[in-house]
Parts: sequence; structure tokens; C-alpha cells
Amino acid sequence: MNTQTRTPLLAALAMAAVAVTATDARQAKPPASKSGAINIPFEQYTLPNGLRVILSQDASTPTVAVNLWYHVGSKNEEAGRTGFAHLFEHVMFTGSGNVPYGLHDKYTSGVGGNNNGTTDNDRTLYFETVPSNYLETALWLEADRMGYLLDSLDIAKLNAQRDIVKNERRQRIDNQPYGRVGEILSSAMYPKTHPYSWSVIGSMEDLSAASEEDVKNFFRLYYAPNNAILTVVGDFDPAQTKAWITKYFLNIPRGKPITRPKIEPATLTAEKRLMYEDKVPLPRLYMQWPSVGAKHPDHVALEVLGPVLAGARTARLTKALVYDKQAAATIGAGQSTSEDTGEFGVFLSPRPGNTLTTLEQEVDAIIEKLKTEGPTAQEIQAAVAPAELNFISGLQSNLGKSNQLADGAGYHNDPGYFKTAYEKRRAVTPDDVKRVANRYLTKGRVILSVVPVGKSDLAAKPEASTKVGEVK
Amino acid sequence: MRRVNSLAAALVLLAVSVPLAQELNRKQLPPVGKSPELRVPTWTTSKLSNGAQLIVSERKGLPLVSFTITFVGGSNQFEKADRRGAAALTTAMLREGTKTRSGEQLALDLQLLGTSVNAGVGGESGSISFQSTTEKFQPTLEILADMMLNSTFPAPALERLRAQRLVALAQANAQPGTIGSRVFSRVLYGAGHPYGQEANEATIKAVTRDDVGAFHKEYFQPGRAIITVVGDVNAAAVKSAIEKTLAAWTAGGDKPSFTYPATPPLRAAAIYLVDKPGAAQSVVSIGIPGPPRNTPDYMALQVMNFILGGHFQSRLNANIREEKGYSYGVNSGFTYGKGPGPFRAGGDVVSDKTDVALIEFMKELRGIQGGRPITDEEMTQAKASMIQRLPNQFSSVSAIGSTITGLYLQDLPPDYYQNYAKSVNAVTKEDVLRVAKKYVDLEHLNIVIVGDRKSIEEPLKKTGVAPIVILDAEGKAGS
Repeated sequence: MNTQTRTPLLAALAMAAVAVTATDARQAKPPASKSGAINIPFEQYTLPNGLRVILSQDASTPTVAVNLWYHVGSKNEEAGRTGFAHLFEHVMFTGSGNVPYGLHDKYTSGVGGNNNGTTDNDRTLYFETVPSNYLETALWLEADRMGYLLDSLDIAKLNAQRDIVKNERRQRIDNQPYGRVGEILSSAMYPKTHPYSWSVIGSMEDLSAASEEDVKNFFRLYYAPNNAILTVVGDFDPAQTKAWITKYFLNIPRGKPITRPKIEPATLTAEKRLMYEDKVPLPRLYMQWPSVGAKHPDHVALEVLGPVLAGARTARLTKALVYDKQAAATIGAGQSTSEDTGEFGVFLSPRPGNTLTTLEQEVDAIIEKLKTEGPTAQEIQAAVAPAELNFISGLQSNLGKSNQLADGAGYHNDPGYFKTAYEKRRAVTPDDVKRVANRYLTKGRVILSVVPVGKSDLAAKPEASTKVGEVK
Repeated sequence: MRRVNSLAAALVLLAVSVPLAQELNRKQLPPVGKSPELRVPTWTTSKLSNGAQLIVSERKGLPLVSFTITFVGGSNQFEKADRRGAAALTTAMLREGTKTRSGEQLALDLQLLGTSVNAGVGGESGSISFQSTTEKFQPTLEILADMMLNSTFPAPALERLRAQRLVALAQANAQPGTIGSRVFSRVLYGAGHPYGQEANEATIKAVTRDDVGAFHKEYFQPGRAIITVVGDVNAAAVKSAIEKTLAAWTAGGDKPSFTYPATPPLRAAAIYLVDKPGAAQSVVSIGIPGPPRNTPDYMALQVMNFILGGHFQSRLNANIREEKGYSYGVNSGFTYGKGPGPFRAGGDVVSDKTDVALIEFMKELRGIQGGRPITDEEMTQAKASMIQRLPNQFSSVSAIGSTITGLYLQDLPPDYYQNYAKSVNAVTKEDVLRVAKKYVDLEHLNIVIVGDRKSIEEPLKKTGVAPIVILDAEGKAGS
């Protein structure tokens, strides 16, 4: 999954807010006091126009997070109009019918709070954290751009944001070493028409092609209350807050029914070998397998397989290749879970004197061994032990909590899904991890070597690899 | 799950909501409630028997503890110029094994506790720290003590870490942002000033195991340590636990003096251009050495910078990103420390707008000096934002810990935050104008641009902003 945000200022925060949950599969249930901490109390209701509302009080800091989760992402785009959902996210900050441009920032970051938006394949998120006395203002701002954005949208505003998004693409993708790896892997993993095959930020050509009418139609369909979740977390009075939500959101009309794209899982029957020459000083190897998304039960065991393979010093690939053989400088592995699909990836940077070809074989041998013998109970325990601390520490962030509640509601129809997810991790066994490794880490995969310009011989098995260049 | 039937909920809500929907005037800005009271946490301070200062702030509610030992002084005080990188290698070596645990055992023990111990040394301070659940506090503290006091620094581990670092350095050197910040520091401070130095291939290769041992012995001393514990603890109990667990850490060391060599004499403004052939964007850094944290102008500078480049709708970002669309984001800021940390304004701008972006940067820098008068609204917003964002500094155990520790590191009074709003509100427009003129010295600005020389050099020359000097990626004179 890749994510784009409106401003670089808060990107790290938005990422950090995605809670990681995993737990100890071997130990008995933790004592009551501990499991009691694995909780985010909330209440929820739905307005007649379909807007889902989730409220969670926490008076420990006098701030409130307001989170608007729209069920639209790059997968709702059409080929030839990629980057649209994210471009739209930027447009949402340009003012609306009753809110002149600039007021949104003035009453969030300008009063000691902050705001941002983020778009991924599946959803677009808008959020602000404000001092608690500005909660009504924040609800007014969000309601106005949900209900009245088009009243003030014109082509000039669209063009200005288009330029900024192109700069975002330059800064994060085109001007970064290894920056285009994500979009190369996606386009290799999925067929051209597959909604997960294009990058969230889109191509320069498609960004130029979006018309004012495209934008308006997109808004009317997806930015309707029936496609949104409003989550408020922090220091507020519930009765007063409900009255404000009614006041500002109730008469925004329900939108048309939405047809969701029908998304098939990716299947690769054979290995795809690619090489990409980039302005990089050193080669890197990326391996990626198609796996499953959030609605498939196997994603949980795959998320445990990641830290079993790489990360800590005791993880298999890290121990063997970074510590024992000292053939790699860095190595990573993990499952990336989107709503409908997922990928399992491994990447590594070799140490000088070690070839990608040899390292690929070493990685394969270690993965084969794991597939045969399975992980030990202790490996599973070590991989999932950080879950409790991560969860409890995450409870200190109103924004982090609002993301967990909204994702649960949006993807699993249950704001309390964080608890289910936590318990599912507790239940992962060595056999589960062995099974998913055998099921998903198969020969159908993408192998991508990124090599310095003119050094294609540094790729893993260069003779069997196809050069990739411009990715549209 | 407490899902409420949606129709019933709507009826209930309609009954309590005051205005009817059609009466709502959406143009009307909602009233702002009463400002929430700032709640500054309290803490106790005492000395351990080895001389380390102990700060404890109890915060109940979640079973969570943040523990940090901060050391006054950092790589600028304790690293030799030709051994830059010794501090980072030393802190990394703390994970490589102790008298009773191998590196692998240390990693496994921490993993099974679900915690991690982090150590690092910055320019003027360093720390070793962890966050844990209340239940895992004591066993994690014991591992921290073992790492800090009993590390064995195995020679093969140093070679592995060195090799990894050289790979990471080579990769970082391909990032235009990394090049930009290195050359910027070098241009402002020169190689003879600690602020102009950093680890490079040669210094990393030069660090020996003896250097690591010596750095460890000299640096991790209780005489310069501030231990900060925040969270679900009892102050007295945690003090005795720390005394007991760190019993082998005997007295020694003191706080370093922060005397720095003079910065190089100011030079006439120049554009220092570093070629990055084919770059899609130019990385722009404009600046000059600034004041230390203890400057009496601190609050006025903070207000000035907020207006200039300290928030999304600041003058720089509103103009260069939002209005002109030359960038994904530009900003400005001061790096306050014990010495003359830099003022920097900059950002990444699209290559073929490098010249016009520079003109806009210069326009805003002139503007803040009086060319564009500061409005009442800008002053009000800057002050309100600075004051009302304070709760974020007290929103988590680790944020509270670093906020309190910061007071002691920078020699600020314990009631600093109680008086913060008053100090901010005392800043006048005249103050802002005065500090803008004093610290944003247009005659001597250093403008460092990393970008595609072939396409940007001529247009930059034509701006007439300043003469162009070509530098290489290390900040040395090029051709």
C-alpha cells in the first residue's frame, strides 16, 4: 500500500498513527488489568443521510481529533485518470461554498492544531487535531467541504493543486533514489486494468488530463455522507458534540449508490524478472509475491511472517545475511495489507563484494527452510511481543485512535475491530505461519533489481531479466 | 458493540439539536468556546548517589512508563574532528554484547519483553532510553543498565557496523536533500567548526575499537546525566529501583562547557550551486548562522518565523507552494542550541522554476524586514498558535519527558511553561521587525542550491540575486 498526503509536514505522524498490533501466541491470556488496557471505548450511530458517526472521549489532553474517512481511493479511478483520488484530496483544501480559501488552515494549524489529508488505494482521509474549544469550528469546516465544495470550485483552483501534486510526485518519487520502485512493482504484479496496478499519485500525463467535469462527477459520487465515516476522539462533551454533528451534517443529502470495483486477487503463475536502471549508487533487490487483503484471514499470519524473516537480529534473513554471512547491509520483509489485496515483499541492499544473484539464492534457501520446518514457538513469540506496548502507547494519540476506529468501521463494519485484530494475533501459531509461507511464497513472484545507470550486469541473473524504463 | 438504531438516533438528535436545518447560516463562523486551561504536569527532582539528576513525573491512566537518561553535551563536544561517527558507532555497539549476554541474546531478551532500548548522540546531547508497560519496566531497566555499563565492544561487530554504515552513507549521498544539508552546513560554518562537520567515509573508516571504548568511558557518566521517568510510577519507589539497578554506575564526569570556535567571517551573499545532473527538483537552502537558544530575542524570533515560514499558511508556503505552485512545501526555521545554530529557509522546487522561486524567497525575506508590513492578524494568529499548541508537548509520556528534560538541557526555569503565554504575548510588531532585520541578514545570506546545473545556472545568473559559486557534493570548490 502506498500513501500520499497533502503536506509533507505531517506525513510521519499519519504513518505512525497506523497502529501495529500483534501479540504473544504462546503465553496464557494476560491478566485482567492488562487486557483492560487493550480498549478504546466508543459509541456510534448513523444519521439518516447515511453518515456513520463514531465518538470516543478521552479528556487526558485538551484537544480533539476530527477524522473524516471517505471510502474512495486510487482503486476507484479509471485507467487514464490515475492520480485522481489524491489530486482530489488536495482540492478539498481549497475552500468550499461557505468557507473561503485559507480558513481551514487558519482554524486548525493557525490556532495551535494541525490538519492533513492522506490517500491510499482504498480510502481518503481528512483529519485535524484542534484545541477542544475549536471542535465546533472543525465540524463546520468538514461539513462545508462535504456538502458545498463544488459551489466554489473552478479550473484555476484545480490547476494550482495539479501543479503542487506534480511537485509532490517529483519530490517523493522522481527525485528520490529507488523512488519509483513501488509503482514498478505494482504494474508488474497486476494486469494493466487492475485497480491496484497504478500508483496512488498517478502519472504526470493523467494528472494533466483531469477535467473540471471529471472532478465534479467524482465529488458528487464519492464525497457523499453515505460514503463517509466521521470519528471524533478527545476532550469533548458528547451531548453537545452530537448536537453540533446534527446541526452541520444532517441536511447534507445522501448521494447515489456506489458501484465498487470488482477486484480479483493477483495471480502470477511464473516468475517475472525485471531490472531498472536508476540514479543510485548501489544496487538493491526487491522480491514481491501476491498475497491477500484485509478481508482474508491469512493476512494475520502473513503479518507475523514478516518479523520472523527480517527486522530484529534474531529474525532469519537478518541473522543469516546481515550478521552471520555479512553479505547484506540491510534487509526487510513484510506483508502489506490493502482492503482487497495484499503483497508480501522482501528487499535488501548488498554489502560490497556480494552480488544480487547470490543473495537472491541465499534468501530463497532460507525461505525454503522455513517452509519445510516452520518457525519455532519462540520465533512467533518474539515477533508478536511488541504488540501490547504498541497498542497501549498508541492510546496516547487521539488521531491514532480515530484512525483505528474508522478503519475498523470502514473495512470490517465494526469500529471495535482493533480488539478482534489484537486477539487474532494472539491466536497465530507456528503452523499458521508455516502454512501461509508455503501457500504464498511460491514461484509466481516479481524479482526487481535496481542498479546504477549503465550497470545492468549488477542485476540478479541479468540475462534472465527484462529492462523496465518509463512507467506510465 | 453499542450500535444505535439509526432512525431512532436521528429522532433523538433532532429533538435535542437547537437550530432547525433550514435556519442554519453556514456562512456564520461557529463561536469559539473558552480556551481550555493549560495543564502542565508536575515533577520532582533529586540527585542519585552517583550525582545523576533524577526527574520523575507521575502520570497515571495508562500502564505505561517512559525512561530516558540524557547526557549534557554531544558529538560536538566529545567527538574528534577526524573521528566523526565515533559516537554513533559507540551507541550501536551497546547492542553487540555484554559480559553476560551476547548481542543475539540481548536482542532476544528485549524482543520477548516487547520493548527496545534506544541510544543515540546528537550534536549537543545524547540519550539512552526506552518505553515499556509498567509490568516490563524493571526487566527492561536491567537490560539498559547491562548495555550501558557492561558492554564488551567485540571487534568483529565494529567491522560489521562500519561496513553497514558505509553502505548507508553511499545511499544517503544519492539523496539531493542530504547533499543540500551537508553543503549548507559546510558553507555556513566551514570544516573547522563542529557545526560544519559530519561523519564521512574517511572518518568512519578511521574509528578504532579503542576510540569506541574511550568514547564510551568518557561520555556515559552520571555527572552529566539527567534521568527522566514519566508515567505509571511512584516517585520514591522508582528512585530506589534506579539506585539499585544502576548501583555499579559510579560517580564521574561533569557537564561540558559549550565553547565553540568563532564562525567564519560573514561573506557577501552568494549562490552556491551543486550539480545534480537531471534532477527533477532543486533543493534550496537559504540561511546564515543564528543565535543560541538563550538569546533574549527567542520569543520574538519564534513569532517572526511563524509568520515567515513556520506554518502552512506562512508567507513563504502560501506564496511559493499555494499561490505559485513551484513546490510541494517550503518553510523556514532556526536551530537553537548552545551555539550559533543556523537560520534556514528553503524547500524542494521544480527545476525549471528554480530562478523564479528564488526571487520569491528573496521577496518574502525582504518583506518580513519591513517591505511587507506585519499585520495585526498575523501577530494574533502566530501568538495564538504558539500558545495553544502547548498541550501537544504534554500529550504522551515520552513527549512530557522530552519537554521537561529540555528545560534542564537549555537552562530554562522550571516554571517556563506557566509563564510561556505571558512571554509570547509580550512580543510586539516592533520586536518582530527588529529581529527580522537583525538575524535575516540579506547582505550575507548563503544560498545553497542542489539541482541540474545545465538547466538552472543561466536562469539563476539572470535573477541577479547574487553571484554563483560552483561547489561539489562535499562542499568543496568545483569548476
